[in-house]
Amino acid sequence: MKRSLVFLSLVVILTLGLVGCSSEKKDEAPAKQDSAETTAPAADAGKVLKLAMDADPVSLDPQVQLSGGMMQYAHMVFDPLVRWAKDGSFEPRLAESWEQINDTTMRFHLRKGVTFHSGNPFTAEDVVWSINRLKVSPDFKGLFEPFTEAKVVDANTVDVITKEPYGLLLNMATYIFPMDSKFYTGKDESGKDKAAIVKTGPSFANTNESGTGKYLVAEREQGVRTVFKAYPKYWDKAGNVETIILTPIKNDATRVAALLSGDVDFIMPVPPQDLKRIESTEGLELVTMSGSRIITFQLNSERFEPFKNLKVRQAIIYATDNSGIVEKVMKGFATVAAQQGPKEFASYNPALTPRYDLAKAQQLMKEAGYADGFACTMIAPNNRYVNDEKIAEAFVSMLGKIGIKVSLKTMPKAQYWDQFDARVADIQMIGWHPDTEDSANYTEFLLMCPNSETGYGQYNSGQYCNPEVDAMTIQTQTETDTAKRSALLQKIEKTLYDDAAFVPLHWQNLSWASKNNMNTGEIVNVQNFPYFGNLVIK
Amino acid sequence: MKTRSRLQRFKESYFLHDFLRDPVALTSFCILVVFLVLGFAAAFIAPFNPYDAMNINIMDAEIPPAWLPGGNPDFLFGTDGQGRDLFSTMLYGLRVSLIIGFGAVALQAFLGIFVGLIAGFMGKSVESILMRIADVQLSFSTYMVAIFISAIFQAAFGLAKYEEIAVPLLILIIGFAEWPQYARTVRASVLAEKKKEYVEAAKVIGLSKTRIMWRHVLPNTLSPVFVISTIQVANAIMSEAALSFVGLGMPVTQPSLGSLINVGFEYIFSGSWWITMFPGIVLVVLILVINLLGDWLRDFLNPKLYKG
Repeated sequence: MKRSLVFLSLVVILTLGLVGCSSEKKDEAPAKQDSAETTAPAADAGKVLKLAMDADPVSLDPQVQLSGGMMQYAHMVFDPLVRWAKDGSFEPRLAESWEQINDTTMRFHLRKGVTFHSGNPFTAEDVVWSINRLKVSPDFKGLFEPFTEAKVVDANTVDVITKEPYGLLLNMATYIFPMDSKFYTGKDESGKDKAAIVKTGPSFANTNESGTGKYLVAEREQGVRTVFKAYPKYWDKAGNVETIILTPIKNDATRVAALLSGDVDFIMPVPPQDLKRIESTEGLELVTMSGSRIITFQLNSERFEPFKNLKVRQAIIYATDNSGIVEKVMKGFATVAAQQGPKEFASYNPALTPRYDLAKAQQLMKEAGYADGFACTMIAPNNRYVNDEKIAEAFVSMLGKIGIKVSLKTMPKAQYWDQFDARVADIQMIGWHPDTEDSANYTEFLLMCPNSETGYGQYNSGQYCNPEVDAMTIQTQTETDTAKRSALLQKIEKTLYDDAAFVPLHWQNLSWASKNNMNTGEIVNVQNFPYFGNLVIK
Repeated sequence: MKTRSRLQRFKESYFLHDFLRDPVALTSFCILVVFLVLGFAAAFIAPFNPYDAMNINIMDAEIPPAWLPGGNPDFLFGTDGQGRDLFSTMLYGLRVSLIIGFGAVALQAFLGIFVGLIAGFMGKSVESILMRIADVQLSFSTYMVAIFISAIFQAAFGLAKYEEIAVPLLILIIGFAEWPQYARTVRASVLAEKKKEYVEAAKVIGLSKTRIMWRHVLPNTLSPVFVISTIQVANAIMSEAALSFVGLGMPVTQPSLGSLINVGFEYIFSGSWWITMFPGIVLVVLILVINLLGDWLRDFLNPKLYKG
């Protein structure tokens, strides 16, 4: 009978687990609640934000990986030259103002009196150094390919020069987070260059930071917690959060439970299945926005012979019930996609519609000579995109219906991107938000022929390569006539659609949830880079 | 009328008498039999085959159990987040859990009895070496062994192969992780038995060591083995559920009870409680009845608790 007691306790433990398991931070909770009685000292002690995300930054080097998570980190610890405001305009940050000097040169006037976390002053040298480093970063060099160089004019002025007239220069300036050139120069203890960009493995920049941002990294235990402290000499006095404690909580239900129980103050993303619950809970605020992040599957035809066959690729797209996924897995919290850019984008081609048709898919498989199907492998992350794992599982059973047996492995994003870059599976999942807020960016990274020199096709794990698409995409970079450019972009989408270059799923919506005593709605944006520096907790 | 048949002897045995008079044991046994039948006849009983993608439609996802509003009579216990019929998936999952549970225990028992018997019978340095190996093995947790082995196998065989070998692999992992339990128990009984007169007698007759070991000592050490076997089956099923819950066990395409509970866990706040609750109840009841049977068996085999 003793063992039945063991069961009772097991049940109790399970129940506790459901309610949420982080008890460590209870001691900090009072700091916020009793602010009424200790108004004056509270300002000194500062506000603490307990933030739970699905994952924490993979590195402290803002130029090592081009991903949403790393950009969110960069906006906390570094500062860009300019950043997006909510209305789509540019907000001056480290660049106070800018002027076009000639067709290919933009002059930035930098903010004076800014210092890095290391104490070094911020100068034009740092901007030039950072842009040069971006141009050699495997992930960023594609974005900065149109750039020739940056030149120091004086300590607070810098010229950025492009190869040809480039309309998206300011969009790109939102990606220039100046790094402390003095801090990152020299050799570390093991004799390696401090500026080295190392994607996997240890490096100085991966574990040390010196930015100009509002927060410095006070403590970091990767995958467990990261503590950000406000940098006392930060120039922008907006926002009153002194300490941010970032805890990665991969499991959706646990992350929601942590917010509901008050263990954390802010969660992102919010799983679609829990939106209603959070909205109806008193004391919580839910902010949602329709997004432009496309979720796709890439079919690797270099790795897997049958994907070379157009009919097989088409069959897979015809077998994918993406509106079913949007309705059931995403709970309507996404928009069904048949192309890369959503409606507001110049590339949107209304003629391209979702293609789900199971009978047609089976027919195509037969015509392709694979009536009995085949087996292939697939990988997907499980904490990168909203419901990524469930989407991948649903996709696997959809392909099962046309006889394709897919072996799926899902993994946390910290492991996923290494595997993705190594192209270990025949089908790989990727979501993309255009860094430039411009539609050509999707193709440049996801579908242009992979080229390690220029960085184009850096995330093209399907290794789709169509010289025609490449030529058209390059042409859009310098095409200044918007109508012509739009027509060109739409033609690219049409070519990709007909070529079944990738499997489009949907554009995922964005969501954030927090306690309702802060201005969450004002700091979040469609880029999904919350400006925590501007967060005000009442 | 000279000798009674085995069946007759069994019918008149105290074992059956005690069993029939113990309502807890009897009920537990009946429930276990029902589970075994349901699990192993899943292919005939289940209305759908959850391994066949043709039966899965994403539009059927998260349908509540048939008796609730919005329920569909086709799906008695509702459907999971992928649109699989929960009742069918549970039956198949039960089968996977039972196969892994019994398979792992068979492996544990084989290894453990072998090692324990040799260690107890040989004594001296053989005993110390084997028992130290068992200590080392015990100091690794099942999860550590599982993470280690599954990582190696996934790297060695690739993804596609891993799905095929998941069941034998889990049997291997859980079997290897827990064999010292058997080895310890058997060794202790062997030490007690080998001093007894019948062993001396066998030696005097001139029987070989191996024969004495296997034919004389072993049968007398088996009663504690039966008792721990019941507990170990329950433990193995729980270990598998725990491993699947953290994502190291069965792949989602062939869910066990543990992976079903894991899948459903994410939906618990959104109100789709049935995805995690029904497999959870089945798992708890299954382990409970096995444990209760084990308790009864222990009481029955323990002469000190013999109530006459």
